[in-house]
Amino acid sequence: MGLALLALVIFGFASPIVRSDSVLGVSPQDEEFYKASSSGSIKCKDGSGKFTRAQLNDDFCDCLDGTDEPGTSACPGGKFYCRNAGHTPLYLFSSRVNDGICDCCDGSDEYNGSIKCPNTCWEAGKVARDKLKKKIATYQEGLNLRKQEIEQAKLAIAKDEAELSKLKSEETILKGRVQQLEERKEQIEKAEEKERLEKEKEDKKRKEDAEKSKAKSEDEKEIHIQDESATGSTQNNLEGSPKDQNLRLKASLHRPWRSKKISLSDKRLTERNTSINPCVVQIPQLIAILMDKDVPVSSSYVLNRGTEVEHDGNFDNEGSLENSIQQHAAVDEKETAGISDTDLHSGSEVTHDQVAKPEKDASENTEALSKEELGRLVASRWTGESSEKSEEDTTAEDGGHDNNEQTPESTHSEEYDAYDLENDDDNQMYDDDDNVDDSMGEDIGDEHHYNDPASSYRSDSESESDLSEIATTSNPSWLEKIQKTVRNILQAVNLFQAPVNISDAAHVRKEYEDTSSKLSKIQSRISSLTRKLDNDFGPVKEFYSFYDRCFESKQNKYVYKICPFKQASQEEGHSKTRLGRWEKFEGSYRTMVFSKGDKCWNGPDRSLKELQQKLDEMNKEQPQSHDEL
Amino acid sequence: MSNSAFHFLLLFLTLFLHLTIVFSWKKEEFRNCNQTPFCKQARSRKPGYCSLIATDISVVDGNVNAKLIPKTSDQDSNPLILTLSVYQDGILRLKIDEDPNLNPPKKRFEVPDVIVPEFETKKLWLQRVSTEVIGGDSEPSSVVYLGDGFEGVIRADPFEIFVREKGGKRILSLNSHGLFDFEQLRVKKEEDDWEENFRGHTDTRPYGPQSISFDVSFYESEFVYGIPEHATRLALKPTRGPGIDHSEPYRLFNLDVFEYLHESPFGLYGSVPFMLAHGKSRGTSGFFWLNAAEMQIDVLGAGWDADSGISLPSDQARIDTLWMSEAGVVDAFFFIGPGPKDVARQYTSVTGMPAMPQHFAVAYHQCRWNYRDEEDVELVDSKFDEFDIPYDVLWLDIEHTDGKRYFTWDKVLFPNPEEMQKKLSAKGRHMVTIVDPHIKRDDSYYIHREATQKGYYVKDAKGNDYDGWCWPGSSSYLDMLSPEVRDWWGEKFSLQNYVGSTPSLYIWNDMNEPSVFNGPEVTMPRDALHYGGVEHRELHNAYGYYFHMATSNGLVKRGNGQDRPFVLSRAIFPGTQRYGAVWTGDNTADWDQLRASVSMVLTLGLTGISFSGADVGGFFGNPEPELLVRWYQLGAYYPFFRAHAHHDTKRREPWLFGERNTEIMKDAIRMRYILLPYFYTLFREANTTGVPVMRPLWMEFPYDEATFSNDEAFMVGKSLLVQGIFTEKAKSVNVYMPGEQAWYDLRTGITYKGASNHKLGVSEESIPAFQRAGTIIPRKDRLRRSSTQMVNDPYTLVIALNSSKSAEGELYIDDGKSFEFEQGAYIHRRFVFSDGKLTSINIAPGASGKSQFLSNCIVERIILLGHSSGSKSALIEPANLKVDVELGPLWLRGSKGPLVPTIRRPNVRIADDWSVKIL
Repeated sequence: MGLALLALVIFGFASPIVRSDSVLGVSPQDEEFYKASSSGSIKCKDGSGKFTRAQLNDDFCDCLDGTDEPGTSACPGGKFYCRNAGHTPLYLFSSRVNDGICDCCDGSDEYNGSIKCPNTCWEAGKVARDKLKKKIATYQEGLNLRKQEIEQAKLAIAKDEAELSKLKSEETILKGRVQQLEERKEQIEKAEEKERLEKEKEDKKRKEDAEKSKAKSEDEKEIHIQDESATGSTQNNLEGSPKDQNLRLKASLHRPWRSKKISLSDKRLTERNTSINPCVVQIPQLIAILMDKDVPVSSSYVLNRGTEVEHDGNFDNEGSLENSIQQHAAVDEKETAGISDTDLHSGSEVTHDQVAKPEKDASENTEALSKEELGRLVASRWTGESSEKSEEDTTAEDGGHDNNEQTPESTHSEEYDAYDLENDDDNQMYDDDDNVDDSMGEDIGDEHHYNDPASSYRSDSESESDLSEIATTSNPSWLEKIQKTVRNILQAVNLFQAPVNISDAAHVRKEYEDTSSKLSKIQSRISSLTRKLDNDFGPVKEFYSFYDRCFESKQNKYVYKICPFKQASQEEGHSKTRLGRWEKFEGSYRTMVFSKGDKCWNGPDRSLKELQQKLDEMNKEQPQSHDEL
Repeated sequence: MSNSAFHFLLLFLTLFLHLTIVFSWKKEEFRNCNQTPFCKQARSRKPGYCSLIATDISVVDGNVNAKLIPKTSDQDSNPLILTLSVYQDGILRLKIDEDPNLNPPKKRFEVPDVIVPEFETKKLWLQRVSTEVIGGDSEPSSVVYLGDGFEGVIRADPFEIFVREKGGKRILSLNSHGLFDFEQLRVKKEEDDWEENFRGHTDTRPYGPQSISFDVSFYESEFVYGIPEHATRLALKPTRGPGIDHSEPYRLFNLDVFEYLHESPFGLYGSVPFMLAHGKSRGTSGFFWLNAAEMQIDVLGAGWDADSGISLPSDQARIDTLWMSEAGVVDAFFFIGPGPKDVARQYTSVTGMPAMPQHFAVAYHQCRWNYRDEEDVELVDSKFDEFDIPYDVLWLDIEHTDGKRYFTWDKVLFPNPEEMQKKLSAKGRHMVTIVDPHIKRDDSYYIHREATQKGYYVKDAKGNDYDGWCWPGSSSYLDMLSPEVRDWWGEKFSLQNYVGSTPSLYIWNDMNEPSVFNGPEVTMPRDALHYGGVEHRELHNAYGYYFHMATSNGLVKRGNGQDRPFVLSRAIFPGTQRYGAVWTGDNTADWDQLRASVSMVLTLGLTGISFSGADVGGFFGNPEPELLVRWYQLGAYYPFFRAHAHHDTKRREPWLFGERNTEIMKDAIRMRYILLPYFYTLFREANTTGVPVMRPLWMEFPYDEATFSNDEAFMVGKSLLVQGIFTEKAKSVNVYMPGEQAWYDLRTGITYKGASNHKLGVSEESIPAFQRAGTIIPRKDRLRRSSTQMVNDPYTLVIALNSSKSAEGELYIDDGKSFEFEQGAYIHRRFVFSDGKLTSINIAPGASGKSQFLSNCIVERIILLGHSSGSKSALIEPANLKVDVELGPLWLRGSKGPLVPTIRRPNVRIADDWSVKIL
């Protein structure tokens, strides 16, 4: 490609000298065609007829393909060649000849005197040549970048693959251990059972002393309690409490957005007319811009994501979790407040109306609507936005201003909430892939600065949390420690005889829980890594690093977010439209296809074809079109 | 929790319902006749109900005056004043109103500014009336002269008005069935409860019921037509009578109807209370009621009056109709024809001739809700160039504004509107932006601020600025009935006032019914008040007309009277044709609506509104490529040719459906451009005669009954017949070709016999179109970016010879832009071919004064269809030059065009007198 461009530059410089006997509108290569036949008649190129030399460029169309009129507008299908010495030659549609508009930089397309076209080829050529030079430079730069990406991909793949195989062997070991522990646990339980049966026997035998048996039952209780605390202290305990909270959170959050819907159902419908949702989005330059500003992760973003990572990955950090819960609670309150506001608008009977509404045709119920609601409702027929969208619209409205980026709470869409809630901590750590569907709706980096025309950042999925997790899981000493502990336990509690040593039994149980939980973590990590590696990252895996990156671009009022291999979305203010989820590459890796986006009103699913040449992108080539923006 | 779950469920259902209602027209949101007291009552009356008689007949100021009083002395009813006047060209005008001398509570509304001032100059000053006793009448009737061979008659008892051939057959009559009723205004008394409620909206009706109704009969007529705007068939089906299931009357009430249905008498965006009747033996007649209130019109099926005991003369092929209006006065016009074009001329002599559009406006328009931003505009524009598809106008819908504040631009999407327009205009292209009548109630918006301060808004019944809901949210509506408001509004279009506008920018008036999203029936309450205390109910149907007028006049002012305005309007009223183009509103991308578009555009044309079209492709929904292609092929013949689409539809510019479809659509658009000289000539014909560009077949073939209800085919001018294809994957189509003369396939030159049906194979490439034998069509065959660059291109004349080897046609040219043509600055030629010789004759009257239009255009090719001699050359006179005659292509489009006898390069100037004789 570079060579071709270079060749163009050279060609541009070395334009052939204009000869006086040339036929107007004919390229030098083609002149032979007209000359050779100069003796008699000339054939139309399409074989449809023939014409005399005198009929050549006589401003009357004899050949339907325009062969006889290369220099005039007489044949609608013809092409006019301008030499454009000093710049690039050009073929024009014959419709441009003598139409009063200068199309060729040498002005040769306008010769009937209706307009004077100055020759601007040298200047234009210079600009073009400079551009080409620049393009070549960028191309080179891009090649380097591509090389780097490939190298990096190699490393990353090697690393991921190494991790995978390591995890797999760890998995095997842990499986063994878990099995051993399980067996041992069963032994203990058998022993305990035996012990219990024996005790019962004794009880029956002794029967006489009620107090004694009472005491014994208390002992049993104690054991049970200790048992619980033993396992809980490692993991379940800590895991359990956030879970509980999450459940509570779920309960409290479900209501707000549901009630939100109620208040919105009519009112929001007009808001949409302010925002047009093109169903087929074309963002040809988007990725290019993105690549152009391939900025590293901004620190504020990391911080913000940090909270989540922490409360996901770090079990003792209750604080952040609480924070987030409070935040949700605040959202809850705020939205509830919003509802009551709206309710007040439409009078105290609103709830009843709304309850009654579904039973009747809504349109028959317009009498119950306020004038404003009715206006919005009717407007919505034309603007016809879907309920989800409008909900978000109003969320934004509740937030105060359409474009207020400072209200992160209000960006919590329905999906977002669902995402947070439906992922318990463990899953979040390893199973982001499983949750791609859910996380589609997630606002990746709402706090990110939209002012940048485009930017890229790491996708949320596995990046931060995984790195830390990998560090933990793949720490050799960690595995050794487990193995050692297990060994110790197994040795220490080798013989099981009644009475069972209570602390030993607890120890075994704890280790069992602990180890099997580690095992399941490793397994889910294995599956996510496997899934990642299964993706098509290009012929030389040059797109490997894109897996963990997202790009965003602000195009006027919309912010487009594209996470390769994941999803693409369009946001306006706080309203978000899912343009599609990752499908595949197309056109020899020049196009990314995201499909099955939100349904268009009265139309098909949205879809996004990232038209930008991915290869160019990898080449770090600054596309021409960018300059034209 | 359970409560909230319940809540959620209900909410879900609510949402679901909302989503479903979004998808179709809601019948119950609009009043039907039974919910409309005046309509219900009028419909329930029996023939012979009217007890009025005409008395005190006298001639005053050239008019015949009379009083209408109840035959039996009625207690409470004042006499009505009747005025009959006669105008040139056989027009009878009947006015009936309350007697101003009897102090009615207020003056009833008479619609101003619709009848053109020149019309009054055509008034015949009646000197006397003759009397004649009709049948066994107790009182003599009064007879007035109505042009050569026609008379108008006032029958005193029972009261009846009719028009007849002198001493003979009736043509038109009013109140022949005694259904006339006139509710007089009253002062509200304590016990009067006149309020009307509809779906939560209350109409206070401060003057009580004030409706008018009457029957009108058309004699020797087989079909009636007109009264747009409905998505019905061209020939209006009866709405009442034996064998007709319940049907609503045809409603005339300008409404913004979401997803309207075809084949429905429901009233759409416009109202023209003008009906034409046509029959083979008698010809065409017309009846026009100038009234802007809601109107309902029944077409009564034969035999509806069987039990009435009233027998009318000439019972054969009579069509009776019932006209009902909520308010206003009787101001009715009877047109005697007798030809369809005579009625067109007579009607437009009252309401005005269609304006002469700028040349670019006759070409292809590209629209969409919305071209998003400047980049999008540039991209779409460049794509047309890339595919070498011509277009002339790019349109911007509501999203281009800053929050639906018209005359403003979204600063982010359109930061440099002037530059954008200049880029387009550098290629000879134009831009249209939308300006609607609802004004955002925002104190920081200058239009709102000024309008509020000056009190320019329509008032609600309480006298406050009416506040309704439309695109911008809370909005008020300018009171366009006031000439002062219209002038003020017009000023807003000046280049200084409309920031970001350039001289190449023109305007689109939408939502001017007016559409009010939260108003009764999606419009303004009937008791809202306009300038001069006029109630909205009296004015409603004309609101959009005044808005259109104000905008159009504003553009004239912007161009210092040198630049013809272009304003597209959705709302329609009689006279709309003087102010610009109209389109048929928010149609849907389906085959039925493609078909309905033909009837709708033809009907508009019949009622004077020649410059009209439907959204190519259908506004709502996504057309299949085949439908879109067919729509382009048909739309290329609409007088107004614009593609448009709803914002949630897929993009559908002509290059988006594969190479093959692109080629076919390009070909359809090119067909329009090639025929532009012919179209422009037809626009001029409409401008001078009122005869529409696109015509029903029967307008050209009024004696051929097979054409009377044909609304699948139509004529463009008198020379071109077009047959639409309205079904998917059509393999063949039956085309009826009327008249004695043959027809030449427009693309192949193949001839077809006239006055017969032809079953033709249909290809995807085109829809059938034929040139009538005996006509000459001027074309410009060269392809350009836009019509602007075609100005100097040479002409092709296509001569289609008839059985006597002769043909004729016309060509009109002017500067395409200014009003100079009104001073005679134009070229108008008639081409006559006979005896092997083509002659160009000047038919323009000598240019008055200094205005002259010059053209250096030449004729580059003359095609002779139906010419069989093997002539090799032709002689041009007076230059005495010989040119070649050879076989050449009929069309210059790619490979295999049929070869036809062609005079090569006669190169005669279009403006000159010359003849070309085949040797």
